[in-house]
Formats: sequence, structure tokens, C-alpha cells
Amino acid sequence: MTFHRVSFEDDDLKLKIGFIHFSSCSGCQVAFLDMFEDAVEIFDTVELVYSNLLTKRKEIPYMDVAFVEGAFCAEDPHHVKLIKELSEKAGMVIAIGGCAAFGGMRRFSCGSQMPQPSHQTFIPLTEIESIKRKVKFAIPGCPPNPSLLYNFFLAFLERNDDFLLPFEFIAQSRDASGFDLIKEVVNKGFCVGCGTCSTACPSRAISFKDVCGKPNFDADLCVRCGSCLAACPQSFKPYPQPVYT
Amino acid sequence: MLELNSRFLIGSYKKAVEVESRTGNNPLEELLSVMFDSNMIDGILSSRIEGEFSVPFLVVKGDRVEVPSLNRFFGSVALLKKAIQKYRLSRIAVVAPSCAIDGLNKTQYYGIGCNWVKTAVALKVGILCTGSLTGKALTAEVLHLTGKEKRIKRFFYDGGLFYQTEEGELIPVNLSVHHHYINAACRYCLNLSAKGTDITYFPLKEENRAVFIVRSERGWRVVASVQKERPELFRFRRLKKEDLEGIVSLLREKALLNIDDILERVELGLPVPKWNDNKLRKFYRIWNAVEDYNFEEEVF
Repeated sequence: MTFHRVSFEDDDLKLKIGFIHFSSCSGCQVAFLDMFEDAVEIFDTVELVYSNLLTKRKEIPYMDVAFVEGAFCAEDPHHVKLIKELSEKAGMVIAIGGCAAFGGMRRFSCGSQMPQPSHQTFIPLTEIESIKRKVKFAIPGCPPNPSLLYNFFLAFLERNDDFLLPFEFIAQSRDASGFDLIKEVVNKGFCVGCGTCSTACPSRAISFKDVCGKPNFDADLCVRCGSCLAACPQSFKPYPQPVYT
Repeated sequence: MLELNSRFLIGSYKKAVEVESRTGNNPLEELLSVMFDSNMIDGILSSRIEGEFSVPFLVVKGDRVEVPSLNRFFGSVALLKKAIQKYRLSRIAVVAPSCAIDGLNKTQYYGIGCNWVKTAVALKVGILCTGSLTGKALTAEVLHLTGKEKRIKRFFYDGGLFYQTEEGELIPVNLSVHHHYINAACRYCLNLSAKGTDITYFPLKEENRAVFIVRSERGWRVVASVQKERPELFRFRRLKKEDLEGIVSLLREKALLNIDDILERVELGLPVPKWNDNKLRKFYRIWNAVEDYNFEEEVF
């Protein structure tokens, strides 16, 4: 009997991930790097195949999971090419941050300004038919917290469905902003006045109204990242109840 | 099938103790002051009453420790980011009812909203709460109960819920009247005793007495360290299960009122938040199920 030595590279077993950048400030990728040593721990278990900030690759290779930040601009030929490549080369898409998930700051853009006066349309990935079925999860925030990204990565690698379930809901939702917080929680009689939305808001659009013990929403400051609704204990709760020590 | 027993209403705990402060102050305030002095905590996130409003309150100095004396707990988590990012606090004690602790627990579990919360909280003290009231609602409730406008100084539990006026008069509170005036969301709450905390606290008739239901190892360690640090300040009396019967029956009465409202809401088909996964309908199914159900696995 002869034994054949089977050799393969370790990298073949690793999950191939990439960061794709559409129209955004790159803050979501920076938030990922803000995980510091936790990011190193993540990179030990996955293979980063593409990132405009972290790799030198020009061509987008095949990847199992694409973490996508930013909104799609229909007038940008680079974006059009990118979205086609993404639908062909990504096994799954995870929308990171308000711009990719709900439109974010781009919801306020009317375009036609320098340095790109031709850019006028900004659409979140969760609304694009060709890629929508691949967007399994959306992570809210502007940018999402490094600790949220780390927890999400761990849950994703461990296939912790209980943790991931709310992010699946969020991916199916087209909108989330301070307006939704008022509409979904306060107007439906679920606001307990805990103040979690206020602390989650990155732009201080939500303050606290002492008279009624409810959040006070300033639409001018809202960047539509969805953090407030995601953080609200009445929108979804850990399920099953985790043990806190 | 759910039973409204102490396991459901109070939840699991290590020990329940009645604490008496020998200085005459509120025992929880005393406990937190000692923790401040011995550097076990570096900040307290709570709320306090200013006029008729409840405002979130961050304590960063040991001599300013204050615990809310009325069931008005609004916005305490709103200062979490300020505490962690501006004041760089890393051992925060949070004093709030279950709803605010839920927000905090969620922030710790998922990491949404505020960074580094997971490691910055040193103690979670949950206030046993039968429903939070705004200043106006409290005024209206007292008017309903007594026919007169009175200024309420504090609330406590002594076989039932009581208000104490500034003149020292005690007003027994009818829970069905109280249920009418509380915050709308408090009517659907089934975690009245703040289960996801280290210590559940509720005040008793005398201002220097309170009950601590210690749930976690961390909570027990805190009580033990404080007792060791300043043994002359406190007198502890361990409570048996029978001693908590009074508070269990009060919670049962309130939980039944809340369950009525939940069932009615589901039957009317009133909407719930879009990412809520319809927890109330889930509760409705469990409440009406005949088979045994492990409710501890569920979150309502």
C-alpha cells in the first residue's frame, strides 16, 4: 500500500474576505482597523483577498464574503463595473455602515457638485436588485463601532445565528433613521425612555426630552445610519437571553 | 405554560438581604459611596429629580452620590458615551430599572452605539420597578388617589407600593390606578425585578432600609467587599424565600395587569417595531400554550 502525500496550502481553508468601497468616507474600513489586536486575531482566521486600503491588488478576485461600504452611484462607471464584478465574484455581501445599508449621508446628496458634478444618484446596496439577494446582513452605524464589527465577525465565523438574526432583519429593511425610531418605537408606544438611542447616535441628532421622558429628534443632524433604532432595546433584544457577568 | 411564581417574577438569585444603613442614609447611596472611596468604581450613571423632571445624572465625585427617590427613571443610558469617552471612566456603576439595563446589556452584547461598554461597567444595580412616571403623570396619579395635589418625596414597598409626601404622609398606591398613569411601554414590561443585573434594589418604609437581591457573583463580591471595608456602616439580614412573598404578590398583581395589556395588544393587532421579531406575539403563544415552556430561554 502506498501513501500519497497530499499537500495543500493553509490559505485554501481560510474564508476569503474582501472590502469593497463604493461612495463613502472609508470610515467603516477605518473602524475595522480600529479593532487593533482584535483585527489581527480576525486576520489570523480569514484571508483578506481585496481591500483598497490594505491590499495592493488591482483586480477583484473571487471572495466568499464581501464587506461593502458606501452607496452605489449610478453615474460613476467605476461603480457600475464594481457592482457587476461584485455580483459575479462575491459569494455573500455584507453591507457595513449607514451608506451601504440605508443610504446614510448620501440620502441628503443632490449631486452635481465638484469634484464630481456628474454624480447624482446614490443608492444603498440593499435596494439594488442585481445584488440584493446576496446581501445577507447589514451592520448599522456611521461608522459601526469596532466592538460591534468584532462581535459580528466572531458570530459570523462561529455561525452564531442568534446574534446574526437581527442583522438579517436590518438587511431586509430599506430605511432606518431617527424618523424610524420615532415611527417604530415612540409612536407605537414602546419607548421606555432609557436613553440608549441618544448614546448610540454619532451626530447628536437625538437628545432627551425631560418633559415626556422620550427622545427628541433633530432631523437636521441625522445622518441616517440606523444606530438609534438598532441600539434601542425595544427594536430587538438578544435572543436567547445572554448571561451577563 | 407560564406560572407567575417567584422564579418568573423575581428570577434566579444568589441571596436576598435586607440592608440597614446605620448612618440613617439610603443604603444604596451608602454602598456606592463606599465603593467610590475604595476605588471600586469611578463613576455612577443614574438619574435624579430636578423639579418635576427626571434628568440623567453622571456622578464622578464620591460626595455627590444620589439614587433616584421616585419611580421616574428616564434617560440614564444617554450619558454612557460621555462617561466612557469624555471622562474616560472604566469602572462605572449603573443604577436603573430593567428597561435601561436592557439597553445597556444590549449595547454590551452587540457593541452597537457606544464603544468599550463591555469592559467599562463595574456594577449593574437594577431598581425593582412597577412602572415609570413623568412628573405630570405623578401629579395626576396623586390627585386621583387622594383628591389633592401633593408633593411626593419618595416611593417604597411595604407589602404594597407607597408614596411618601414631603410632609411625611404615606399614600398607599392602588396598582390599577398606578397602571393607568405609567409610561405606555412599562405596561408591556415583564421584567419588573430587573433580572439582567448584579443586584436588584428596592427601598423599604424606613429611609435607611432597603432590600438587595444579589444575583451575580460580582454583586455578591461587591456586597462582601463593602461589608469588609466599612463594617460599622451596615447591618445585613439575610432574607428567606418567605420574606419575599409580599413583594412577589405585588409583582404578580402588576404582571397580571401588564399581561392583560399584552394580550389585548396582540388581539387588536397593534403594530410592533419592525425589527422586533414580534416578541409580544411570541409571549401570547407561550401564555396560551398548555405544554411546559422554558421561559428563561425567551426574552419578552
